[in-house]
Amino acid sequence: MNQALAVLSAKDLCVGYGEKAVLENVRLEFVKGEFISLLGPNGAGKTTLLRTLSRHLAPLGGEVLLGGADLGKIVQQDLAKTMSVVLTEKVVPPLLRVFDFVAMGRYPHTGWRGRLTEKDDQVVMEAVAMVQAEALLYRDLDTLSDGERQKVDVARALAQQPEIILLDEPTMHLDLKHRMELMSILRRLCREKGICVVASLHDVEIAAKISDKVALVKDGEIRAFGPPEDVLLDDTVADLYDFRNVRFSRVLGTIEMENWVDRGRVFVVGGMGSSSVLYRLLSKKGYGIVTGVLHRNDIDLHVARSLGAACLVEAHLDGISQENMEKARVEMKDCDCVIDTGFELETINAGNLDLLKDAVSMGKPVLSMRNGSGRELYTPGEYGAIKFSTSESNLVEMVKCLSLPI
Amino acid sequence: MCHGISGNCRTGIPGLELIIKVKGEIKKNVATTLVETATPVQYQAGMMKRQRTVFLLAGAVLLVCMAMNVLVGSIDIGFKEIMDILINHDTASTKGFIVWKIRLPRAIAAALGGGCLAVAGLLLQVYFRNPIVGPFILGISSGATLMVSIVMLTSVTIGMTLVNPFMCTLAAFVGAYGTMLIVLLIANRVKNGVTLLIVGLMMGYLCHSVTSVLVAFAEKEKIKGFVLWQLGSFSGFKWSEIEILCIVGGLILVLVYFLAKPLNAFLLGEDYAASMGVNIRLFRMLILVSACALAGMITSMAGPVAFVGLAVPHMVRLLFATSDNRVLIPGAVLVGAMVISLCDFIARMVFNPVELPISAITAFFGAPIVISLLLKRRTKI
Repeated sequence: MNQALAVLSAKDLCVGYGEKAVLENVRLEFVKGEFISLLGPNGAGKTTLLRTLSRHLAPLGGEVLLGGADLGKIVQQDLAKTMSVVLTEKVVPPLLRVFDFVAMGRYPHTGWRGRLTEKDDQVVMEAVAMVQAEALLYRDLDTLSDGERQKVDVARALAQQPEIILLDEPTMHLDLKHRMELMSILRRLCREKGICVVASLHDVEIAAKISDKVALVKDGEIRAFGPPEDVLLDDTVADLYDFRNVRFSRVLGTIEMENWVDRGRVFVVGGMGSSSVLYRLLSKKGYGIVTGVLHRNDIDLHVARSLGAACLVEAHLDGISQENMEKARVEMKDCDCVIDTGFELETINAGNLDLLKDAVSMGKPVLSMRNGSGRELYTPGEYGAIKFSTSESNLVEMVKCLSLPI
Repeated sequence: MCHGISGNCRTGIPGLELIIKVKGEIKKNVATTLVETATPVQYQAGMMKRQRTVFLLAGAVLLVCMAMNVLVGSIDIGFKEIMDILINHDTASTKGFIVWKIRLPRAIAAALGGGCLAVAGLLLQVYFRNPIVGPFILGISSGATLMVSIVMLTSVTIGMTLVNPFMCTLAAFVGAYGTMLIVLLIANRVKNGVTLLIVGLMMGYLCHSVTSVLVAFAEKEKIKGFVLWQLGSFSGFKWSEIEILCIVGGLILVLVYFLAKPLNAFLLGEDYAASMGVNIRLFRMLILVSACALAGMITSMAGPVAFVGLAVPHMVRLLFATSDNRVLIPGAVLVGAMVISLCDFIARMVFNPVELPISAITAFFGAPIVISLLLKRRTKI
């Protein structure tokens, strides 16, 4: 990495309170225009690290460099022109309007009386526009909702015209709308203003999608630091948060609750993206899932795997092999029912239809979400034996009614 | 934010509404929409207009109150007579003596004292970010009271049957500033504002406990004098004391005005203030020193006058509709002076010739005013 570009860097930094070190050997480098997420469980030291980087805490060892200069030696006012913060502490002074609150960010730029010049007004208005809070401009600070407040906080930090903004858990207490809005605002700060944004986040899914780099904080050290694509692997994430029944999927970029079987086992014949919703629903309701035969490139396969389902996989993009067909039949025998997800039928997955027909002849209860002319694929005899359903939830209700052994 | 219903719509910025009306764009809803789209310059001009009006009003009321304090008293002196006495600087006659040595110093002292106490209260409320903090929260008055109780209740006044008022002032001065030094020493070591607040409260309790022991052993007659001192009074001010008040108090008030910008940053708490470029250690000390020095000075001269330092900052904030300390500091000086002048007038006149302690009046009339202001504005403070 180019040394000259680093806005803020930590060299062998040791952070903590008093004698007690919380994190050791911290080596980080934040570059202009980057979005950096600090991830890690509660109490791992994310806030302590941020407070040290913002000079609210003195480092216990090592050093923090801001634009190449030792952070500890920078004049307070110059520091404020380079770095601003958004803290978790939400102070609501009475009788303070949003405009005046954001204008407080001009502190390091104004004279002894803090009089706002035309340029200051302009910067404040730009900051407010950047966070799309124009409508709030003359509202009293104590009438804002959490989401609005957070945006205004960012605007205040922005009014300092910093090169780097540190945010401590900016999405805490925010609903989904405001959370996504805030994240996109922060990303725009990086892209459009070239500001380096460092935020401690709880949401791995969002962090993976938005960050240029993530730092994983756990057990007194930075476990990993780099692009989320390299760092946020299925196992690393599980390990970071000590996941038990939850899995992170790097491919899907989502977290799934692992299948917790306390009901029957069902065999899902699906594929072509037709079964992901059903997998999640079955998994949520506590059914064990066996599924197949899926092709290697199927989205359903990634979802099924992240849920911990047993998958029969066809390695080649070709018709289903006899070997897999045989395996599927064996699995089917152990299952309490077989479900047809109504997948689109192509030549390469034609074998799956045969599996369903086999299931009927085996005497297994078969449920199907196939509708319309698709149902004509079954013979009249098979049609009579199969129970049809139009939605996943309805189907699962029907599975429940089969009174499977619990 | 209110939309639409013009009748119920209040922008809270009368000045701004005024501008809008002057521009001749009075339609329904215009007030709100314009406020939302007002430029910063318009907005600031609107705020300043309101503030200027309040300043002028408060100043006028203050002048009226001070004039009443000079003109009216237990002895009737005609308006013409008083003007003669004032213009001719007549101190020789009885009435001249009353005006020049009693009424005038008292009127000035009350105004100055009110201003100083209000500013001290404002400083500490902002610093601690706590609305129920007053100038005496750090134990200033308790320290003064303790020293005064030693002078008034024990036999330190060797040989003197009547307590010398000068001794009282000196003792209160020593007590107030002694406490201040201790608090500042602790403040230098404690980083947390709340801890400092508790330390101050504990200092107060410590001093009170010693005082109450002294009260228990004191003679009956002495106790009344002591209790009355505790309730404060602006009577008996000498011109020399007023000179000190003017010079020292004035200097501190000027210093405080220079603190207005960092004080505004302190509204958001020390962490944010530091991140915006405030030298926390320096300004924390300056804020505490100024507040304690102002409170200590008034306490040593007039006794611990209750309520003003706590309530006036609230009144000022609501009157000026802002938390901006650049406005609130001069505002607190004016309104504090006004409130005390008025209260002192009432204290002297209600049960004339018996004079009530000033603290009784300040609290009796002030508390309902603050409550009604708060309820009317529905503002959290």
